[in-house]
Parts: sequence; structure tokens; C-alpha cells
Amino acid sequence: MMATKNAEAYAAVAKKYEWGFATDIEQDFAPKGLNEDTVRYISAKKNEPEWMLDWRLKAFRLWQTMAAPDWAKLNVPPIDYQDAYYYAEPKAKATIASLDELDPEIRRTYEKLGIPIEEQKLLANVEGAEPPRRVAVDAVFDSVSVATTFREELKRAGVIFLSISEAVREYPDLVRKWLGKVVPQRDNYFATLNSAVFSDGTFVYIPEGVRCPMELSTYFRINAENTGQFERTLIVADKGAYVSYLEGCTAPMRDENQLHAAVVELVALDDAEIKYSTVQNWYPGDENGVGGIYNFVTKRALCQGRNSKVSWTQVETGSAITWKYPSCVLAGEGSVGEFYSVAVTNNRQQADTGTKMIHLGKNTRSTIVSKGISAGRSDNTYRGLVRVGPTAENVRNFTQCDSLLLGDRCGAHTIPYIEVKNPSAQIEHEATTSKISEDQLFYAMSRGLDQEAAVALIVNGFAREVLQQLPMEFAVEAQKLLGISLEGSVG
Amino acid sequence: MIATAELPTNRDEAFRWADLAALQAARALPAESATVPDPILPDAQRLVIVDGHLVDHLSRAVDLTIERAAIASDHALGRHAGGQGHRIALAPRSVTTIEIARVNAGEDSHTPLEIALGEDAVLTLVETYTGAGWSNALTRFDLARGARVMRAVRVVDAEGFVSARDEVVIGEAASFVCVTLGAATASTRFDAALTLTGEGAFAEYGGALLTAAEQRQECAVRVRHAEPNGQSHQLWRAVAADRSTASLAAAVEVARDAQKTDGEQSLRGLLLQRTATVNLKPELEIFADDVKCAHGATVGELDARALFYMQSRGIAKPRAQALLTRAFVADALDRIADETVREAFVADADAWLERAL
Repeated sequence: MMATKNAEAYAAVAKKYEWGFATDIEQDFAPKGLNEDTVRYISAKKNEPEWMLDWRLKAFRLWQTMAAPDWAKLNVPPIDYQDAYYYAEPKAKATIASLDELDPEIRRTYEKLGIPIEEQKLLANVEGAEPPRRVAVDAVFDSVSVATTFREELKRAGVIFLSISEAVREYPDLVRKWLGKVVPQRDNYFATLNSAVFSDGTFVYIPEGVRCPMELSTYFRINAENTGQFERTLIVADKGAYVSYLEGCTAPMRDENQLHAAVVELVALDDAEIKYSTVQNWYPGDENGVGGIYNFVTKRALCQGRNSKVSWTQVETGSAITWKYPSCVLAGEGSVGEFYSVAVTNNRQQADTGTKMIHLGKNTRSTIVSKGISAGRSDNTYRGLVRVGPTAENVRNFTQCDSLLLGDRCGAHTIPYIEVKNPSAQIEHEATTSKISEDQLFYAMSRGLDQEAAVALIVNGFAREVLQQLPMEFAVEAQKLLGISLEGSVG
Repeated sequence: MIATAELPTNRDEAFRWADLAALQAARALPAESATVPDPILPDAQRLVIVDGHLVDHLSRAVDLTIERAAIASDHALGRHAGGQGHRIALAPRSVTTIEIARVNAGEDSHTPLEIALGEDAVLTLVETYTGAGWSNALTRFDLARGARVMRAVRVVDAEGFVSARDEVVIGEAASFVCVTLGAATASTRFDAALTLTGEGAFAEYGGALLTAAEQRQECAVRVRHAEPNGQSHQLWRAVAADRSTASLAAAVEVARDAQKTDGEQSLRGLLLQRTATVNLKPELEIFADDVKCAHGATVGELDARALFYMQSRGIAKPRAQALLTRAFVADALDRIADETVREAFVADADAWLERAL
């Protein structure tokens, strides 16, 4: 009986990527390959000032001397960096004033993306009635921001919310002050590559004492075939400011492996708070692991000010390979770092993800809650570091890593590093590994749920602590994603 | 002499915390005369290994079958100790007690040793490292069905660098218990790979690393459950004083077929001064879906409430600190079954604590 059910369940897991589609738009490509000319081309395309080009070139030269990291529990096929395009810009009017002028293809793409752009309506009525919940969308269609809504309202609050290339031109001092301060050019192989060739991304500045009037959101989409996307996000929250930033992504189905190496830098000054939420659903490859996005992301926050706070929440369901460790450098006295993560892997997906909490200031606190769910033949690794510096008195950290195994051919791994140089620190670490018990499943099904719904319910329960950290808009999408990623898998 | 290029570096993830500079420094020191330590168990069979060579006239092997054998390893340090060594075969159902003294006068010494236990054989093994230089050991154990090993290893009265690589294969229903005490001034690296190849095998691997001054000690243990119903415990305690570093890395790996595995890790570090460092890495790597694996890791100072309570009962603060630290270390040493051996180890730890506190 159970065996048959499992067979059905495994068949259901093999379900195809729902949002696999590609949009046909004419694009402007940089020539294939990566050399100094590519870097110059990108910089010229962006009308960047001289200092920015120099910064990129410095990073590129550094990158050439570096080697890709191999410590992660990932099996990364060799990547030919010369066999990719580093810049692709939609030929459609890139500097649209109103959404009516938006390329209808892109509009259709939004429609297919559906869910979180409730927003879709909102995009259509830019000057219409105000929706009940407001989300500012800076849509990154491939590499260039094609539409930025709500800019005016944000401007009234004093919030700067721009694509990073606009910010380089319009607020060069601010960008120059903070770019590369949290993730320096030489930080790691992928961050250095990003520093050289980043094509677009987002810049947010929340001035002193301002609570950002709406949640900020960016949709990344990798669209052009063979175009690595190198996003650069920089968010600075000045003293006493607050911002909640949402990042979500889906990508079209592709055969070619696509490389994504983003860098996200957050800076929180005194009493500032940044909440950064991600739902990631890039194409994970087919059931044999063909295609799928390689996601090598460097995300780091600097809690520079006293009592500042940064909270990372992530729901990772996509990508063939995920290499991602959103981190907090807790330098300010009494600053707080949080990391809530759900990572789901299925089929041949590989995820090596976690966080780093670097405690440098006194009375700093951090919380890590990581939920890993593995199914199919996938590998899911939590890798985390908690470091306490010698002068960081009274540090507290709580770490909880739970893994759920669905099926008997997947792996769940927990690799926490704890480095403590101050005796007053209190570091706690807990980890569990479990499976969905047949009792739980039987109970849920005896209450009238079918198998898929029962599994989805149990998995959502497992991930609840993390999901409830997400803003409303994302919580709905995230639950749906968990369901889709795991439909029918039974342990 | 092994070329420096053949040694691992801190860039290797597995050697991230290792004190490889101390290893190099230890090799450079000229050889001095070293004394052979007194045995803990005077009645036991005794092997004395000086500078990597078994010294027959100092040893006392009454009924041991010792033969020459080639012993190899692909471990970064262990492989250097590979080559022609000694193999001790213990007959089925035999009961043996062996005490090994590993003395190094200076420079490099590399000692390969293999111990094979027949079915239901029982071995009590005590090993003591003393001397100077770089003492590098490769020890392989092969436990047949139902065999039992109770092993206690200590590094006392040693300077320089001690590295020990253990490769242990534990058969069906066999049991391997090892407790290690690092209480000398030597920097150390205890590497171990334990594989539970039989159903219902049991492994316990742990110990206490006490570090002071600029010293660094570490363990890197990997227990691999290959078959169902295995049980493993890794219990390590680290006490770090002055500017020293103690690092505990313990991994449990559960293979696809090793259902019903019970793996447990407890790593705890105690910092005596704020200049000291404790690193922990409790790692789980799980491929089976019906297992019970738990790990706990904590770092900090002595419990302030316990200290306060003891002071309120009239115990002076330094004494209370010493008692609590002693209890902390005793957690690990209590696993030694033989009372004489346990007491000797506790005495070594106490002597260290007396110096550090």
C-alpha cells in the first residue's frame, strides 16, 4: 500500500517547472566573453564616471588572480567564463516614464509571473487608486531596470530607491562611500567577478529617522539565454531608519546553465533596522539536473551603528546549485543579526547555504533558524559560522538547524563553525534531522487531505518559524513554492 | 625528511584551525635525550616506541604476535607515517592489556601501527606521548565481530607537535571506545576516521584538550555509519587559557543504508581568559532518513550561578573555579573504564589545571 503511494508520490515530485517560459525581446548584447574590454563596454553602456570604471577594472584584475572556492559541499561543473554574455539590455525603451509604454512582452511576462505582483494591477494603474498594501517594485528585466514605480512617493519621504547605475550617476558620493565597504572587491571569487561586471541592481538609501513608507521589492529575472546576471544591491539605512526589502525571482526554463553571481550589501547605522526577505525560485534544472541556474551569491550586512538590526529571511527553492551565505557583521554595540532560512532541494539540486554572524561589538545578539528540506537525489547543506571577537562582551547566539529528509536518496548536512574568543559569550547550537513520519501522514490523510496536501501541510508546519518572518506578500508565494517544489514527496 | 610542500596548509578546509607553524618549528628543533615514562599499568604488556622504532629491550611483549607489515593511509598527515610498521594480531576471545609509550627525542618521527582484533577479542590499550619534535603516528584498528577496544591516549610531558591519525574499522556488534587527553605543552592534532561497517557497531571517541600559553590543540574526528543500528558518541571538552586555541571538529556521517543510527556529539569549550580561543565544528552529514542524530555545542565561561552558589556555601572563589573546571574536564575522562588508568589521567588533568588556574 505504502509502496504504491510512494511511487505515485515520487512521480509527482518529477513535476515540471511551472514557470518555465522565455520572453522574446530584442536584446543588446555585449560580445561574448570576459576581458577588460567587456568591463569597459558595460561601464560605457552605463555612462559611468571614471572612478566607477577604475573600480571595476581593479576588481577584474584581482579576479584574474583568484581561484573559485572549492570548500563547499557542491559538485560544480567547470564554468567557462569566456562562453557567456556579461551584458544584455532590452532594446525596448529602457527609460520609460509611465507603464503604458512598457513593452507588452514584458507586461505579459509579469502576468505569467502572476502572484506577487498584485502589483500587476498596480503596475497598470500607476496613477489610479492606491492599493490597500503598497509595494514599490523596481523590476529588473535581465540587466536593466525597466520600470520603477512609486518613485515619487518614496522621494517625498526622502527615500532614494534607484537602479544602481542610476544611483552611480545621480548620487555618486553616497554610492562611492558605501559600495564595496561591506563586501570588498577582493572578498571572494564570485563577489570579485560581480564587482567587475555587475550590470544592474538596486540602490536604496533611507535617510535619518525615516521609516520607509512601503515595502520595497525587486524582481530579478534572468531572461536572455546564456546571460549571466550580476546584480549589485546596496541598501543603506541611516540613523533610526527602517526598511523592509523584498527580493523574489523566477526564471524561464533553459537548457544552458546560467551563472548568477549577485552581491548584496546592507549597512545599518545607529538604531536602524533592515529586513531583507528573499524568495528564490530560479529554474532548478530538469529531473536529471540538466540546465538550471548556478547561484553564487554574496550577501552581507554591516550593523555598524549602536542597536542596529538586520534580519535576513530566505526561502530557497530554485537553482541547480546554490552557494549563499547571507551574513551579519555585528560591529555596533547592542546590534542584532537574524537569519531565517528555508532551503528546499529536489531532484539533482545542490544547496550549500547558511549564514555568518560575526560578533565584534559588545552585547550583540544573533539568532539563526535554518530549515533544510531535501528530496529526490538532492544535497542540502547548512554551513554557518558564529564568530565572537575578543572584545565582544556578553554576546549571545542561538542557532537551530533542522533538516527534513523526503526519500532515501537525498542528503542533509549540517556544518556549523563556532569560533569564540571571549569567555562571556553564550553560544548555543542545536540541530535535528528527521523525516515525515507515516503517522503524521496517516493522520493528515484521515482528516480528508490527499497525500500531496498532507505533505505540503507538514512541510509548511516544519518551515513555519521561518515563513512567519516573511512579509505578507511573500508568505503566500513562499508557501505555494514549497508545495510546488515538493509535491507528493513522502519520506 | 618530508618536504614542507607535502604538508597540508591552513588553506585546506580540514586544516583551517591547525597549528602548522608549530609543526614546522617542532621539526626544526635538534634532538635531545628523552626519558621513557613510567607505566600506569606495570603488569601490562608494554611496547616502547622511541623515535618511531619499537625498542625490544625496553618492551615487554609476553604473548603478543607482532609482525612486520606495510601500513598505508591517504590522510594528509597520516600518509607520512605510512610504510613498514608493526601489526599486532589478537586472537579471537583473547583478553589483552597493552601499554604503549611513544617517545620522541626531536625532529620527525613517524610510527605506523596496526592492531587487528579477532572475534570477541578484548583489548585495553593505554598510550602515552612524551618528548619533543614532531611525533606523527598512524594507527589502524580492525575490529572483527564482537571485538572490544578500550583505549586511553594521553599527551603529557611533551613539547613540539604531536599528530595522531587513527583509522578504525568497527565490525558487527563490535565496540571501540577511545578517550584522549592533551595536557602537555605540545601542540596537537588528533585525526580519526572511524567506520562502523557492521550492524549494531558502537563507537565512542572523545577526550579533553587543555591548552595554555600560545599552544594550539585540536581534534578532527569523522565517524561514518555504513550499516544500520550503529551508535556513536563523540564527547569532547576543551579548556583554553592564555592565548591558546583549542579546536574541536567532530563529524558524523550516516550512509544511505545506515538506518536507525544513533549519533551523538557533545562539544563544549571553556575559556579561562579572554585572549584564548575555542573553535567548534559539530558536523552532520546524513543520507539516511530514519536516524537520530543530535549535536550540542557550547562555548563560554564557568556558570556564574554555580560559582555563586559554591561561594555562598563557604568555598573560596579560586577553589570553586578549580572544582567546576575539574568537573567540566572529568565529563570526558569519566569514560575511561579502567579505574587505575582513569585516576592517572585525572591526575594529569589536575596537574595541568593547577598550573593554569
